[in-house]
This record gives sequence, structure tokens and C-alpha cells, in this order.
Amino acid sequence: MKRRDFIKTGLSGLAAIAVGGVGLPQLFRSESFALDRTVKLSMEGALVEMVDRSKVFHWLFSSAATGPSFPGPVLFATAGDLVTVNVANHLNEPHAFQIIGTNVLTAPIYPGKSATVSFTAPAAGSYLYTDPLNAPANRVLGLHGAFIVSPAAGNTPYSYPTPTVQRLFNDLGASKQFPKFALSPAGWDPSRFRIWLQHQIDPLFNAQAQADFLAGRASTVSAAKMRTSFLPRYFTINGKSGVFSAHDPGIALSGRIGQPMLVRILNSGLFTHSNHIHANHVYVIAVNGAVQDNLFFVDTFTIDPLDRVDWLVPFLRPPDIAGNRYTPLRNLIPNELGLTIDGPNGSPGVQQSPLGYPMHCHLETSQTAAGGNYPQGTLTHFDFLGDVDGIDFPNAM
Amino acid sequence: MAIKIVPRGDVPPNQINDYFKFSCPPEFNGPNPDPLPPTFSFSRKLLVGIDLLLPDGSKVPMWVIEDPDAPDAPHPLPKDILRRSFPSPTLRIPLDALVNADVDCNGNTHTIHWHGIEPTPMNDGVGHLSFEVTGHFTYQYQPRQAGTFFYHCHKNTVLHFEMGLYGLLLIDPPDPSAPAVPVTYPTGGPGFAAGMNPNALLPTDHVIHYDVEALWVADDIDSRWHTLQHNAFMQKCVPDDPDNPANFSQDGILNDFRPDIFVMTGIARRVSDPSAFTAAENPLFGPLVAPTVKAGQTLLVRTLVAAYAVAQFTLDIDVEVIAMDGHALGVPPLQQYSRPLLVRAGTPIRLTTARRWDLIVRPTSPRVVPVKVEFFNNINGRLLYTATTSITVTK
Ligand SMILES: [Cu+2]
Ligand SMILES: [Cu+2]
Repeated sequence: MKRRDFIKTGLSGLAAIAVGGVGLPQLFRSESFALDRTVKLSMEGALVEMVDRSKVFHWLFSSAATGPSFPGPVLFATAGDLVTVNVANHLNEPHAFQIIGTNVLTAPIYPGKSATVSFTAPAAGSYLYTDPLNAPANRVLGLHGAFIVSPAAGNTPYSYPTPTVQRLFNDLGASKQFPKFALSPAGWDPSRFRIWLQHQIDPLFNAQAQADFLAGRASTVSAAKMRTSFLPRYFTINGKSGVFSAHDPGIALSGRIGQPMLVRILNSGLFTHSNHIHANHVYVIAVNGAVQDNLFFVDTFTIDPLDRVDWLVPFLRPPDIAGNRYTPLRNLIPNELGLTIDGPNGSPGVQQSPLGYPMHCHLETSQTAAGGNYPQGTLTHFDFLGDVDGIDFPNAM
Repeated sequence: MAIKIVPRGDVPPNQINDYFKFSCPPEFNGPNPDPLPPTFSFSRKLLVGIDLLLPDGSKVPMWVIEDPDAPDAPHPLPKDILRRSFPSPTLRIPLDALVNADVDCNGNTHTIHWHGIEPTPMNDGVGHLSFEVTGHFTYQYQPRQAGTFFYHCHKNTVLHFEMGLYGLLLIDPPDPSAPAVPVTYPTGGPGFAAGMNPNALLPTDHVIHYDVEALWVADDIDSRWHTLQHNAFMQKCVPDDPDNPANFSQDGILNDFRPDIFVMTGIARRVSDPSAFTAAENPLFGPLVAPTVKAGQTLLVRTLVAAYAVAQFTLDIDVEVIAMDGHALGVPPLQQYSRPLLVRAGTPIRLTTARRWDLIVRPTSPRVVPVKVEFFNNINGRLLYTATTSITVTK
């Protein structure tokens, strides 16, 4: 793995690696770097700091370019491309590598050994790579990451869009219901996407894995016990919680009215989430590899363990703002856009512009960290920086 | 060999205030900043404490949102029940109304979030993205989709929502024969619900007439939580060092939800009580949980999951799902990429917290249609409770 293969881009906000031979995934065509056919990963022990700075031991995927990362580095590829993954086990018990939703699966890799698997990148979509052994323990203790496949062609995120998904993407920015942001080029912009890899942590299990790791012995963590008594104390998106996931530019949704965004949601944990977004309903366009034909338009959607769900967030002007729907917001809500609300305890005031909303899990136990501290759990922000006509709201950066 | 550390990261110095307001939102008291003349106004007060009565005579303390303007309830209902109930009093608003919602908070700060309604941040009721109400605020919005929504407090939500600070918010479409007249329908029916009409000539034709309306709000209660304080286990507010580890509480139980009481629209059962939920046991909510409908009539069932358990609704009759989350399937322009869904008798409808599906049931012959609502733990999948009720179809 060469350094140039490590994408440190605002596109994902995650440690990411592009892999393949024919060319960069469509999303990165604008960026200049080369890539290799082979990704080299290792499995390591590391301490991950939670939102309250408590250090929780994890098993993590690592690469030379990224170091151990939580979750593992995002792997990007283009459908149909030949991909090779090499995985070295630096832990004390057998592990393996699997991409859920494909037939990519290694035999058990023993401590100190490695395995190589080559395959053709499957149909475009989001996939979860994990260690399938001792399920769900090895995955939940940190051995997981996102594998994102872009289509080789077309104007949707899929190799095989359904007729309805094709129609939806054709309509974006080209229909009355989806007015185009004035300064955007026509058509779907594949670089406007986010990955939300949601996870949950019960530090009791991690502490046991840590004790085993430090003693140099194989893990004694029981998968059966985890299945029955897992009680998460931390809830993350891309390894971050609460205020940190809310302000992470690679997690938060951000744009102008008329700039839709794709969100690829994955759940690597054991907790069923109920993701709720404010300000816009969203189209559910793919579920577990099945591109949908009946596109539910919802404000809340179930994200079960191991689910992979794609949302298209239309970035419509929030439709229920009182008053004439066609008056520019700077004329309709000038006072709100100009308002600074005094902060408590003598802190500086809070500007109400640009327009910020949350996306959070409504199964609200996930909104906690360390048993409380609302809302330091599964949450991020959804920010409208400017109006559809190209004029930004105050303070938009 | 030292173990590597993946650091949390520090609060960026130029964003200290943003990070601070996240856990310690500002407060605001006053009129709406951009007021418009309302066509529909109402008031809500938070919070008031009430007792939820269980069949064994025991009581659970709840927090609810009060409708101070509701009239006394007719005999034999408790006099206060239309003002103070659990769930909090149902709101019905005509489609497209310009709404002014006067909210009073006494004693402590709260917000109201109008879940599924999509206004500006100051009218959206999320403290850390706008403010928490101290005293009084007039929320303003204009609902442009008819359907099933709900309203709830969005402060320390994990606790305040569980304690009962929520109610249904129903947006009613006009009667298609008088599309210019804003209306609300009586709870329980009859009325019109937004729904795809393949023969529609006008946008206002996308409605379905129903004779009877049921409201199935599935909820669960951890009675251990019902002794906690308003700000239980919140983070300490330290403006210049907001996310210092020392600010975090460490002894909370709000990640550990152990429901021991299960509720269908205000009617509660202890986990050990499998008795059916009936119309007769509660004059206000009973007929909404266990409705009666004539053969040949149309029943609209509005579902809401207010539980933290996963709720699974199974009806022994075919249903048509006409709307999700307040948006009618198949109706152009925005829902033209979807279509109504047929769910066969006996097929479970599995929903998680805050989801709403509107169901149409058209029974053709007299019978009692069994209904069950199963509650599952959202982590280990264990079945926690099965609520049973029924739809009675008469001649
Ligand atoms: Cu909500
Ligand atoms: Cu919310």
C-alpha cells in the first residue's frame, strides 16, 4: 500500500482507500491520485477514546496509510473491477475476513498469519466487511468497515437501478418538485454522499478482550453471552458520538436547497436503530443490496443490525415553513436568520443562521453516552447553507 | 509494546460555543421572530404530572403536555381528561393552516418538536439547534401534508418522551366536495385521510373516506425511570471547556431501558397481565384501540410507535398501507415514486420508535378480527409482551 492510495477527503470524513485496476471510482474522478489493485489490512488491538474520553479497547482493521481505525478504513471500488484484499492477523486468536452481501470470505486466519482474497467488485452499493468468526463478537469488538462500490456508468448510485430509482435521479434538478440549486451543474452529483456506519459499544465485553490481549492469550469473549446481555453504553456514527459526529464535516449533511445528497447507512452493531431526520422526508432507495422500486418517503426508518440502507435526502426547502412557499427565505424569515440568542452562563450568543437540524436515532436510549449526557449518542446535523437561487444564508461558510 | 490510541479529538478552539450549546442549549422567551397572521391557533403547557392507572389499581407517575383550553369532559369521563391525558391531548389541524402554537413552560425549560412537520429551526423545537423555551414561545408552521404526526418535548428526550410528553398531531385534508374549506374531523371518525386516488382529477381528490378511525399508539414504560428528575444524568454546563471528561455524568441508567408496563393509546398493562385491551374499559381511549365498524364500512387505523421496544402489529385481515410518516403513498408530486402497499392478513407490520403507518381496513362480513401487538427488545430480540385487542365488525 502506497501513501497515494489513502484518500483523506472531505467526501467521506473516514479513513478511506480506493482499490481496483480500471480507474478511480466515479466519485473521485475529480481528484488526482492513483490506486493499486491490492489493499493490505491488518487486525490490531487499540484503545478507542469515547466521547467522554474513556478509553475502550477494540480490535481494529489497520492499514499502513491509515493506522488502526474505528471503524476500519472505507474501501472504495468500481463495479466489475478486480480487487485484491490481503489481511494479516496481529491478534491472539483466529480471525477471518468477509464482505457481507458478496461471496468474499477467507478461511480462518491464525495469529501471525495472513490471507489474500481476490474478487470482482460486485454491483454498485454499500457493503459491510467484517470478521464473521465468533459472531457477533468479533464484529462488535471492532472488526468491521464499509466497502462502497460505485457504478461503472450511469447517473444513479447503482449498476442496476430500478425504473423508479432511475426516474427519481433523472428528475433531480430537472423537475418542478426538485428545483435545481442555481449554481450546481445539471444532474446528479455523485460526490455528494455520506457514509453513516452506526455502531454500539458495551465496554464490559471490550474489557474482557483487553485482559486477554494483554495476557497474550486467545480471547475468552462469549458470543452467546453477547447475544443475550449486550447493553451498549456508547453509540457511534463513523466512530464518533454526539457533539463530535454532529460537527464532523464528513458525517453531517450540508448543502444548499436543491443539492440532494445520498446517505449510505450501515449498522455493524447489535442495536436496532430508528433513524429520524428533521427538515426533509427522505427516499429509501436501497435496502440490503436490493435497489427499491417502491420508494418510501419517510422521516424515520428502521436500521437493524447488519442492515445497509441508502437514503436520498432531497435537500428540499423545509416544506412546512409558514408563509408563501416561493418567497426567498431571506425575505420570509429575516429576523430568524439575523437572530443571535444569548447563550447561558455568560457564553457567547448562538446565531440562528445557517439553518441547522438534527438527524438522530429516535430509539432514544441511543442518544446517551455513559448512561446519560443527552444527546451525546447517535446524532448528526443537517445544515442548509443557502437558498436555491444561489444566495447563501448569513454566516454560511 | 504500548497499545495505540485512537483519540476522540479536542473541541476545536473556534467552535467552543457550538460545542457548548450542544449539551447546554440557550434559552428564549418571547413571540415568534417572523410572525404571520395565523389561521389556526392553540395552546399547550408543559409540564403537568398525572397518574397512569393500572388495572390492579396501582399508579405510575407520568408527565404530560396540557391543553389548557379544552372543555370539561362529559360524564362519566374524569372532568380533566380532555386537558390532561396520557398520551397528551390529540391535536387536529386543517391542512395548509397557518399555525400559531402558544407554548408555556413552567418551572423548567422544555421544547415542543412537531415530529414530521418541517419548519424553520426556531419552530422545530430542538434546543441545541435553536433554544429551549423558558416561559413562553409561539411556534409557527404551515403543514402541507395531511396525515399522522406527533408532537413531543425534545429536551433530555430519552427521558421526557418516555415520561409521556407527547401526543398525536393529525393533519386533516379537506372534504373533496368542498376543497377550499379547512376542516378537522372528530377523533374516532368519520372523516377523510390523505391517500392515493387513482381517479383523482384534482390534487385535493387524493383522499380516502373512512367511517371509523382507530389510533394505535404503542408505548412501554420502565417504572424505575419514573422517579427521575427533569435533568437526570445530563452533562454539566461549562462554557469554556464544554466536553471535558469531568463534565460527563457516569452513573446514569438511560441506556438501560427495562419496560415493565406496556401501553396501547393510554391503556396500560403490567408485563404479567395478558388480558385483552377492550373498548369498554376506557371510555376515551378504548374505542380507539378496539374499534367497532360495520361490514362494508372503511376503518382507518393510525399507528405510532412511542415505545423503545420494536412493535409488531398483526391483524387477522388484509390491510392497505396508504401512508407512512404523514405522507400518502403514491400521491404526486413528491410521493409519485411510491405506491400503496397491501399487507395480507396475518403478516406482521414491524415498526420502530416514531414510525407511523396509516392502514385502511375494509371488512366485508360481521366477525371479530383479532389484533396483536408484540413488543420485542431492540437488542436481543426477546419478546417482551403481547398486547391483544380486536376490531369488531357488526352487521
Ligand atoms: Cu420525534
Ligand atoms: Cu427529533
